[in-house]
Amino acid sequence: MIEGVLKEGFITTTYDTVMNWAKTGSLWPATFGLACCAVEMMQSAAARYDISRFGAEVFRASPRQADLIIVAGTLCNKMAPAFRKVYDQIAEPRWVISMGSCANGGGYYHYSYSVVRGCDRIVPVDIYVPGCPPTAEALLYGIIQLQHKIRRTQTIART
Amino acid sequence: MTTYAVTPEATKASVEAALGPLLKRSFIRLGELTIFVDAADYLQAAKILRDDPGCRFEQLMDLCGVDYSTYKDEPQVGLRFCVVCHLLSVSLNQRVRLKVFAPDDNFPVVQSLCDIWNSANWFEREAFDLFGIVFEGHADLRRILTDYGFIGHPFRKDFPVSGHVEMRYDAEQKRVVYQPVTIEPREITPRIIREENYGGVH
Repeated sequence: MIEGVLKEGFITTTYDTVMNWAKTGSLWPATFGLACCAVEMMQSAAARYDISRFGAEVFRASPRQADLIIVAGTLCNKMAPAFRKVYDQIAEPRWVISMGSCANGGGYYHYSYSVVRGCDRIVPVDIYVPGCPPTAEALLYGIIQLQHKIRRTQTIART
Repeated sequence: MTTYAVTPEATKASVEAALGPLLKRSFIRLGELTIFVDAADYLQAAKILRDDPGCRFEQLMDLCGVDYSTYKDEPQVGLRFCVVCHLLSVSLNQRVRLKVFAPDDNFPVVQSLCDIWNSANWFEREAFDLFGIVFEGHADLRRILTDYGFIGHPFRKDFPVSGHVEMRYDAEQKRVVYQPVTIEPREITPRIIREENYGGVH
């Protein structure tokens, strides 16, 4: 950094840092609550845990306005095509958090005839949050982990 | 002991009087009245139960199917499929459980109650979906819970818990597809280990 320029109110940084800062600072999740995990997801967005402290409070009803989808609950066979459609409508860059045992691997319903044995059979998953259901803190921790993961990605610089 | 505004015994007497020969069997267990009718008399009996001044069961609270093929883990005795209705009379404060067996095990058919109680509509669709019981006279007998194009009736005792197909995303076809199940069936019923007279029970 050049001292004279800094005094004028300028700083220098890399393009990737700015991009990743922008991406991590405003994760807009698509509203996708499927079962009881959704109650914990709502809890994490409410006053006590306040997901907005991590820049992810803007739950969107439309996937076209979102860049994150939190699969909160049991993904049934009947829901799977709709879920894939919602995922396909999210613009890149996009991320997926699988929340709870059912979304991670079928969980309690692993041997059921009507449940997808993990939502990673339908979409690629970035972060798995364990628990049945995970607490609101656990979901927040998952979001923080996702932010760490996003910071590692490099758009311009080559590794 | 619970006190009843109308005792089950009194309900039993009035139901017996109203149905007459249509009533095939009835008993009171755990303070609840259960009555049986033949499939041929089912619709007529339901109408009487709703309209008779001593019954007046205005509401159908629940309707479900039962598969008796492995009942009590013993070989099947009698007919396999049963339809169970729970009726409530708000005006007389009494309840009854109405049971009817479908005459044909291979193609279970009973009359639809939709014209008597509107609430039967979705209950009968559920029983059809899960047990394959056909309700004659139902205006819109489609599956209600399982996936579109689902094959089989999952609550039948001969339906495997894990089903026959599972779902995954196919990257080439760019859509979710069904494939045969890949997991091994496993005994998942918990084994109950309990000493005699444990904690004063049994």
